Amino acid sequence: MPIEEIENDTLVYKGANFFKQRLLLSTLSGKPVKIKDIRSDFSDPGLREFEVCLVRLLDKVTNGTVIELNNSGTAIYFRPGLLQGGTITHDCCLKRGIGYYIDVLLAIGPFCKNPLNVIFKGVTNSKDSPSIDHIKSAAFPILKRFIVVDDGLELKIKKRGILPDGGGEVHFKCPVKKSLRSLQVVNPGMVKRIRGTAFTCKVSPAMANRTVESAKGVMLKFLPDVYINTDQNKGRLSGNSPGYGISLVAETTEGVFFATEEISFSKTEDSKQTVPEDLGNKVAIRLLDEIYRGGCADSTYQWLIALYMALGQSNVSKYLVGPLSQYSIHFLQHLRDFFSITFKLENPEDDEDDSIPGFTKVLMTCVGINYTNISKRVN
Amino acid sequence: MPGDEDSSDKKKSHRARQSGVKAEKKKLKKTKSVGKDETLTARQRNPKAFAINSAISAERNFRRKEDLTAKKQHIPIVDKTPDVPPPVLVAVVGPPKVGKSTVIRNLIKNFTRTNVTEIKGPITIVTSKKRRITLIECNNDVNSMIDIAKCADLVLLLCDASYGFEMEIFEFLNICQVHGMPKIMGVLTHLDVIRNPKTMRTRKKELKKRFWTEVYDGAKLFYLSGLIHGEYLRNEIQNLGRFISVMKFRPLTWKGTHSHVLVDRVEDVTNTEMIRQNSKCDRDIVLYGYVRGVPMNKELSVHIAGYGDARMEELSSIPDPCPMPGTEKKRNLLEKERMLYAPMSGVGGIVYDKDAVYIELQGSHSHKKKNEDDEDAIQQEDLLGKLIEKKQTIDTQIEEQEFRLFSDAPAIKSKDFVDERKAKVQSDDEDDEEGSEAEEDDEEEDNDSGMDDEEMEDWKVEQSEEENPAEDSSDEEYEEKVGLDSDFNWRDNLAQKARDDYLERQAESGNLMKIVYGVFNVSAKSKPEQEEAEDKEDSSSDNEDDIGGLFKKVTQKQAEIQKQREIQDKEECCFFEVYSNEIRNWLDPENKIYIQNCFVTGKWKASEDAEELLKLDDLSDAESEVYGDFEDLETGEKHDAKDKEKDDKDNEPDPKKRKMTRVEEENLTKAELMAKKMKLKAKFDSEYDNGGEKDEDDGRITGDHQYYEELKAEAQKQSELNKKEFEGLDDELRSKIEGGYRPGMYVRMSFKGVTSEFVTNFNPTYPVLVGGLNMAEENIGFVNCKVKKHRWYKKILKTGDPLIVSIGWRRFQTIPIFCKVEDNFRQRYLKYTPNHVTCSMTFWGPITPQNTGFLALQTVANDREEMKRIGFRIAATGAVAELDKSTQIMKKLKLVGTPFKIYKKTAFIQGMFNTSLEVAKFEGAKIKTVSGIRGQIKKAHTTPEGSFRATFEDKILVSDIVFCRTWFKVEVPRFYAPVTSLLLPELEKDQWKGMKTTAQIKREKNLQNDPNVDSLYREVSREQKVFKPLKIPKTLQRSLPYKDKPKHGPVDGVKAEDRIAVIQSPHEQKVSKMMKMIKTNYDDKKAKEKLEMNERAKKFKAEQDQEKNAYHKRQQNLKRKMCRAISKVKGKSKS
Repeated sequence: MPIEEIENDTLVYKGANFFKQRLLLSTLSGKPVKIKDIRSDFSDPGLREFEVCLVRLLDKVTNGTVIELNNSGTAIYFRPGLLQGGTITHDCCLKRGIGYYIDVLLAIGPFCKNPLNVIFKGVTNSKDSPSIDHIKSAAFPILKRFIVVDDGLELKIKKRGILPDGGGEVHFKCPVKKSLRSLQVVNPGMVKRIRGTAFTCKVSPAMANRTVESAKGVMLKFLPDVYINTDQNKGRLSGNSPGYGISLVAETTEGVFFATEEISFSKTEDSKQTVPEDLGNKVAIRLLDEIYRGGCADSTYQWLIALYMALGQSNVSKYLVGPLSQYSIHFLQHLRDFFSITFKLENPEDDEDDSIPGFTKVLMTCVGINYTNISKRVN
Repeated sequence: MPGDEDSSDKKKSHRARQSGVKAEKKKLKKTKSVGKDETLTARQRNPKAFAINSAISAERNFRRKEDLTAKKQHIPIVDKTPDVPPPVLVAVVGPPKVGKSTVIRNLIKNFTRTNVTEIKGPITIVTSKKRRITLIECNNDVNSMIDIAKCADLVLLLCDASYGFEMEIFEFLNICQVHGMPKIMGVLTHLDVIRNPKTMRTRKKELKKRFWTEVYDGAKLFYLSGLIHGEYLRNEIQNLGRFISVMKFRPLTWKGTHSHVLVDRVEDVTNTEMIRQNSKCDRDIVLYGYVRGVPMNKELSVHIAGYGDARMEELSSIPDPCPMPGTEKKRNLLEKERMLYAPMSGVGGIVYDKDAVYIELQGSHSHKKKNEDDEDAIQQEDLLGKLIEKKQTIDTQIEEQEFRLFSDAPAIKSKDFVDERKAKVQSDDEDDEEGSEAEEDDEEEDNDSGMDDEEMEDWKVEQSEEENPAEDSSDEEYEEKVGLDSDFNWRDNLAQKARDDYLERQAESGNLMKIVYGVFNVSAKSKPEQEEAEDKEDSSSDNEDDIGGLFKKVTQKQAEIQKQREIQDKEECCFFEVYSNEIRNWLDPENKIYIQNCFVTGKWKASEDAEELLKLDDLSDAESEVYGDFEDLETGEKHDAKDKEKDDKDNEPDPKKRKMTRVEEENLTKAELMAKKMKLKAKFDSEYDNGGEKDEDDGRITGDHQYYEELKAEAQKQSELNKKEFEGLDDELRSKIEGGYRPGMYVRMSFKGVTSEFVTNFNPTYPVLVGGLNMAEENIGFVNCKVKKHRWYKKILKTGDPLIVSIGWRRFQTIPIFCKVEDNFRQRYLKYTPNHVTCSMTFWGPITPQNTGFLALQTVANDREEMKRIGFRIAATGAVAELDKSTQIMKKLKLVGTPFKIYKKTAFIQGMFNTSLEVAKFEGAKIKTVSGIRGQIKKAHTTPEGSFRATFEDKILVSDIVFCRTWFKVEVPRFYAPVTSLLLPELEKDQWKGMKTTAQIKREKNLQNDPNVDSLYREVSREQKVFKPLKIPKTLQRSLPYKDKPKHGPVDGVKAEDRIAVIQSPHEQKVSKMMKMIKTNYDDKKAKEKLEMNERAKKFKAEQDQEKNAYHKRQQNLKRKMCRAISKVKGKSKS
């Protein structure tokens, strides 16, 4: 999505897609953004509830943010303030998972004035956004690489909650950093172990066991080291609606993590039924797909890597990832709009005896813009 | 002779043994020890002598050694100096009439053998093979001094030795300290004025001492002993030049993170017609200079010191007008390479003035020569035609203009001139791109193909295959396989095909950047160009199409818009797209082989595989290996590797990137194998051997510096990577990836809509500093700083008085509020800055990173009177602590009320608030009377308005005043005005005046405040306090003891005042007098008698005592005699 125009420092975009990316980058760069034509052709035009909820979260995290919505909600003007952080409680909209919101905080957390300590309430596992397990297993290792010292980084599921009624609770803590380091990560290593969690909420624990059984069955064909936990929740801890799901993580010898997840159909989609065996099979196959794509990061968080690399110190950073997802491609384009940073993208040359198995990778190279935390107080 | 005697007396000297055991031993020792000394240290030869005697002292020694090494260690920094660094900026600073221009002129002459008559603006010269310097003279304006201090690498601080250091020098040093200390070298001039050599010596010593205390001990101070023919001594200048050209610089924080350009050429490119119509119209200007610091990015806005923030319209790099000398080996610089570039001083043959251009005819011979050289060079390379030629060097460009000047006579401002120039620049750009046009064309095609998906799929795949036909054979096989599959049942596999295509597209190396950035490259260019490109593309793609290109174009555009629309309102999803949930079945054995090697159970990389490594080892150890086909000659047996090969193929059939098969391995020569092995060994060594350091064990205990070494190695590695990574790329792409034009490049920045004063009032002696602003630094907010009033500044600073602050690149006026952070982190408002301690200051201004130093001035105007009064202009210095969008500065507020009705512990209080709403806000607040009785506000009361009910811990008095202590938030005024000193006319350049302080206005208008009446002193008049009599209740009285009971006197007693006064007649008086006399006599007699009686009594008592004593004695004697007699009698009877 190209920029429509730039009217004195304000970037103008069109369309509802990449709403999160734009607001996130605007907050970090301090550049105001204006998004027009948000679902203007739809029968129910304007911002959705979860998007408004995101704007509200950003307002809570920052100080001095100006938000202007037009009457129909099809246009928004967002002028970011300074990142404040601190202790926040946020009731997330049930339309999307908490992962949607945590993604944003992962990106801005290290640059707040005070360490983030957020309590989210809502849906912990859903199909459209990464689940908490996914974030913890795939995104955290990336963040840890970039911030070096990670004391105070924490993500805890207090209660699980799934669609449609939610009821989950998640605690997220993130330390404050002055700047991110520049990294060269080009060796993905080989997958050495598979871990995972299968959870059930308000359904029979046998569902989890059956899912684990089938997922394990697939993975054991490739690797002996497979261990999948089951997490059975009852009563208050299981949220408000029934369901179950599974997430798998593959760890490589170089500390790279790939994660996938699957979740059963929710109560509202009652026409469809999920068979636990199918679910387990599917998640395992998808993990294999992810491993095939490979790289030094999970494909869901390519954008996060690109962001951290761009914000890093003004040195050359290199990161090897799998093929770029559509989302990351647009994120790279947005990065160029907001930070005027261009990545060098290439397929790594084949060193005939040291080639990396799996699909052809993408080597991202850039020089960081030396973004520093301007909110933090120094004494 | 005594000497002879001595010699005769001399004893026989010792003769060493020439043979025997001892001699042998000695000989051996001699020869061996010599050999030993060369290789071994004393410590190694005799370790016992160096053994540890005491653990404690050893520990101390060790600790001391480690302390010393730790002190020497610095955090390793990544070296970011580019290959071609920008010229070193040497600023010559000093008070007027101290010889600044002379020094510059002499330095230029020393380096380039050129006489420059007029020093205006920066002058860049080549000093050595690896260094260029830019010389700039700093005038006596504090604005210039600040700007120079911010950008200079080296400062030559000139001082008149006959006069001593002046205040400007101290001010400048202070400015430097605040904005990051450049290297400072002192230069003493006018030494010839001091005649007496002894005074000169003491003078030098004095000044040196002072200079050292100001800068650092051992700072270099040069002495220029005097002028000969208006020039300094040659060898002294030579020495100074040598020092300058070998000086090393360490990176400074601000300059190391911000790009900046010291402008050395300014041009006004506004349409002359517009200027003719309105001489005050906004101008378009072009600034030139070397990028310094970090790469300069066009997208980020810049601050022009003395003008304000601005956004670049265009930024391009142009050929270096003063390039670094060639790299070929030679001892000295060639005469040709001793370049000089000073457009503002008119060394290029032309002097730019405000509204005219002058051509200098004499001097600068070397310059003319140089031009000829350049022109020759241009004639040789007429590849890009005459348009490029103008871009070749700045000198030639200027030359061009000069010619035009002659032909057009005085019409320097004529329209065609400007237009031509503009056109030239544009066409230049086009020409530049011409070379890569073909490339770009297919780039754009690819872009479109990248954006289209399903429709254009096939076409694209074809094209991509065409583009790189030389792909790995295995890849092709794979593709064919897929192709075949899809041919058979393409409907089923549509989704998979789409997915594969998506991935495949990314697998092509060249495509990646285009997929991501390509489309936007077009949009970044001008619109018509884009359309043109599209046209071209259409025509190329429509070759086969029978229908006219027009229709095709429309449909394509439509499709594009449709696609965009599709994407633009999709749900946002960060997962990798899975096409219609169709995933390759990885359990399929034919699919399985693709990912088998991703697991540790699969095949490892050659460099990591233990088996492989072992094999290589064996290979080198034993030359004979059963790898290939060979025939055992003795037995005639043939060893065949074929079947083995087959097995291998089954095991590792990775079709994408095949491992080297055994067959290929066999074909490798021994040398190649060795090379491979060495490579692996080097890798192993680097991982496990600590780089094969010389581990000379000298018996000392050394500390563990591994962490530091690692840090250092990391920084080293990073800096190498930074240098190497983008070396091969072309400049355009490189500048994009590196985030702008590298430091050291000569750039041309064009600005639009600059106020006309910038051009009309331009003065080359004032530096024009263009500083790049990093992310978020163009934003504005509240800046909180630590600040300390300068101890040399004579006044204290008042909250709310406007102050001129220099911070980052900026100079601006703002209104600060001072405060103090208390123990509970409350920021308490202060009216004035405290003396000698830091306090906190908050102002509304540009966001600047924390820890950036700043200084504050009350005025930048060069007012002699004011200077004399203040003495030192820098009012305060400090550093930024925090940035925010809101403030929490609190001022103490005491609300005062009086009780109007008091019950036991409840009281109604009025006068504290005005409305009941206000009271409602303060419900529950603590209050206190003057006498210290504490209480609480309860609830608002109806009448009078603003009164309330309150309870206290005790009954209060009506006379008590009640306080409520609260905190009141002080708003920081949102005032921010950049100091626009560059825009002022010639004569008022150093007279910038901003907002005035209240005191200044009052002084000017002769106003005085009426003092608060309450604060005035008045005569103290105190009324006597009358207390009511004490009343004790009757019940209490009854219970009191008698002594505490109130005494009332006789019930019918006559009061003293009721008695009648007796007035005596003279006779009575006489009688009473007589009686008094008699009484007196009588009393006297009585007293005497009493005395006598006492005497007598004493005497009598003494007599009686004596008698008693005597009686006692007698009795005792009697008793004694009696006892003796009795005992005698008893003794007799016994015996």
